[in-house]
Amino acid sequence: MRRLLRAADVGQVLLKGGPARLPDDVVPRFKPGDRVVARNINSTGHTRLPRYARGKRGVVDRDYGVFVFADASAMGRGKQPQHLYSVRFAARELWGPEASARDVVFIDLWDDHLDPA
Amino acid sequence: MNGIHDMGGMHGLGPIDREENEPVFHHAWERRAFALNMAAGFLGEWNIDMSRYAREQMPPAEYLATSYYEHWLWGLERLLVEKGLLTRAEIEARVAELRRLAPR
Amino acid sequence: MSDHHDHAEEGSPLTETELRVRALESLLVEKGLVDPAALDALIDTYETKVGPRNGAHVVARAWADPAYKVRLLEDGSKAIAELGYMGRQGEDMVVLENTPKVHNMIVCTLCSCYPWPVLGLPPVWYKSAPYRSRAVLDPRGVLRELGVEVPEDVEVRVWDSTSEVRYLVLPERPRGTEGWSEAELAGIVTRDSMIGVAKVPAPARGGRR
Repeated sequence: MRRLLRAADVGQVLLKGGPARLPDDVVPRFKPGDRVVARNINSTGHTRLPRYARGKRGVVDRDYGVFVFADASAMGRGKQPQHLYSVRFAARELWGPEASARDVVFIDLWDDHLDPA
Repeated sequence: MNGIHDMGGMHGLGPIDREENEPVFHHAWERRAFALNMAAGFLGEWNIDMSRYAREQMPPAEYLATSYYEHWLWGLERLLVEKGLLTRAEIEARVAELRRLAPR
Repeated sequence: MSDHHDHAEEGSPLTETELRVRALESLLVEKGLVDPAALDALIDTYETKVGPRNGAHVVARAWADPAYKVRLLEDGSKAIAELGYMGRQGEDMVVLENTPKVHNMIVCTLCSCYPWPVLGLPPVWYKSAPYRSRAVLDPRGVLRELGVEVPEDVEVRVWDSTSEVRYLVLPERPRGTEGWSEAELAGIVTRDSMIGVAKVPAPARGGRR
């Protein structure tokens, strides 16, 4: 499917964007407040689960709703709609006891990136 | 993939070099590289996730030694060839031709 | 910096990178796959039309109008769209409020994800290895390096933009701006304050514009 982008359409195309949000008819595996652990995924394909978070425990802070799952979409495996969450990780959980006792890192992770902790 | 792009937590990558009042684009070629990526993406042969994955496959030493829009250029070439819009041969032939014609 | 081989001085031979960009553009145009006028329109949009002044407008509105601020924090995309800012790389916006007790900071460790409709294209330092690697690891060190000292009793929250959700920091309103108009307020909001690596400084006495 080839669509040539014309100058006259640029404004409209940019304003429309490319939303990744999908209809909300998928059951979430988690809810805010749930303790989760990021999966230890190490495939050679695309993933948006950074290495520094794998195997680390966090708490679901927010459910953003259903989105295209980037890991699948990048590999031509379709949208695989699923819930996307903001997950809160303590700095000490990520970086060890020398890290700040107070600070946190929030990472956007999908259902397929997480297991219950 | 466990590539060089996955940088969170790495040490040794240097001080943060912030340029005051930096321009949006530093060179004319950057403008074209940016726009080509956007326009070619609009063709619908790949999605944004595929375009990120393409860049992630740049050899690590090259990734660290080149600038942001050079990553975009590398990724774009890879996608265009992978999706069959251009061939590696015709890209190299055109580069060679332009090199011959370039001002000295 | 690595730009010694990617651009040429006026009148000197084209660099390899310049040749490759020209090669791709000429081939794609010849094959009818890209329209050169569209390329110019894309460049013009991000070079002149979309930039941090958009985000400054949002921040100023939130400072001046408490009801807008509530809407902004509740549904960032919708409230930002009220001001006409929307679209590519900003389809799903979440706004994070900085307070005396919480300092938010945004990064994309994996690439360079950034809220284009409100901040334009990201600066080089945001997309580069030093920031991407250290923002999640040592945010206080990064902030100190960039001129911000965060007290021990303030919680630093770093947001790694790993999805298509895009974040914007609502910086604290500085003292000395009471009664300012929205336009005056927008004039002091900096891009770096909306990324969360700077505070908006209190104006010098009589320093309103």
